Amino acid sequence: MGPCFVYPPYVRYELTSRPRLESDTQRIALGLRQGDSTVFETLVEQYQYRLVRYLVSLLGRRDGVDDLVQETWLRVLERGGSYDGRYRFEPWLFRVARNIALDTMRKRPMLSLDSNEGDGIRSSPASDEASPYRLAARTQDAERLADALQTLDPVYREALVLRFQEDLSLQEISVIVGAPVSTVASRIYRGLATLRPQLEGETA
Amino acid sequence: MNLDDHESFQRMIDQNLAGAISAEREQFLREHLSTCAPCKQYLDASNRVIAGLSGFSFELNPTLNSRIVAALRLQVPQDRAARPRPRRFIRPFTVSLKAWAALAVALSMSIVGSALLCKMVTFLLVPVHFDNAQVQAGVLVFWLLPSLCAAACLLMAPVQKRAIA
Repeated sequence: MGPCFVYPPYVRYELTSRPRLESDTQRIALGLRQGDSTVFETLVEQYQYRLVRYLVSLLGRRDGVDDLVQETWLRVLERGGSYDGRYRFEPWLFRVARNIALDTMRKRPMLSLDSNEGDGIRSSPASDEASPYRLAARTQDAERLADALQTLDPVYREALVLRFQEDLSLQEISVIVGAPVSTVASRIYRGLATLRPQLEGETA
Repeated sequence: MNLDDHESFQRMIDQNLAGAISAEREQFLREHLSTCAPCKQYLDASNRVIAGLSGFSFELNPTLNSRIVAALRLQVPQDRAARPRPRRFIRPFTVSLKAWAALAVALSMSIVGSALLCKMVTFLLVPVHFDNAQVQAGVLVFWLLPSLCAAACLLMAPVQKRAIA
């Protein structure tokens, strides 16, 4: 006779009476609403690198990104109550960061805000600044992609990073960038099409 | 297989990578990829680009986190102070002094009123042969207790909902 897997009554009671655990996003939403500093510090620790990577993809430069990151977290603290815990935290965070980045760019007259896609983003490193992608490349393929990424239209670069680095869905990216899903998909196709020739003819 | 077929399948590969393809079409694409070398090559090149995007590592300023946490800590108390306080059912002692005074006055008036009512009813109901104890019990049940309950409810009600006091 095989082992019996029926739980004794006290175990069953303990299992059924335990309150349902809140999901991570609900805990984040609650922490933001209450101004819980522990939650903020955890979020800063957890999302800092991803925020930097996203802002670099958006702006195409590294300088000034730290200030934008700080500004983003202060905005998160200020408006954290508007985050809806039913949805993932990343799209909301990136949207906040994007709005701040665009506001900052609009305040700087030396930066052009025109874009081929009419999205209000066009940025590049200052002429004396090294490409952040060239500095950050750690693999051979990344080195080959660095220059193409630097010259890629920021809206394509942003779409590629959000889709393949942040693993966001088309719908989530669409909410972040404020563009239809079909437009986001098209940006991803075009971004891939621009970068693909950089690696063709090379052995991995 | 002609060139158009490859182009349409390569569009499907892009759609698949972007996450914009149905399960049925994805299955259809898989079957095609198992037999078509050019499309498989296209997929490999795309995957290599995607993998290449992970080959960047941006250096973080080591003081950035502490700087941000310090700024957030400075901001949190101000933010909390600006936030409206949660509603309480009973005000703090100093604030609710007026309410307690009103309750005391209401109680006194209720007791005095009950005594007067008792006298009056005793006088009026002499022909009906109610004795004193019955009259006092009637006043207690129908006058004093309801007035005490009303005063207690008024005191316990949230401050915003009080019509009086």
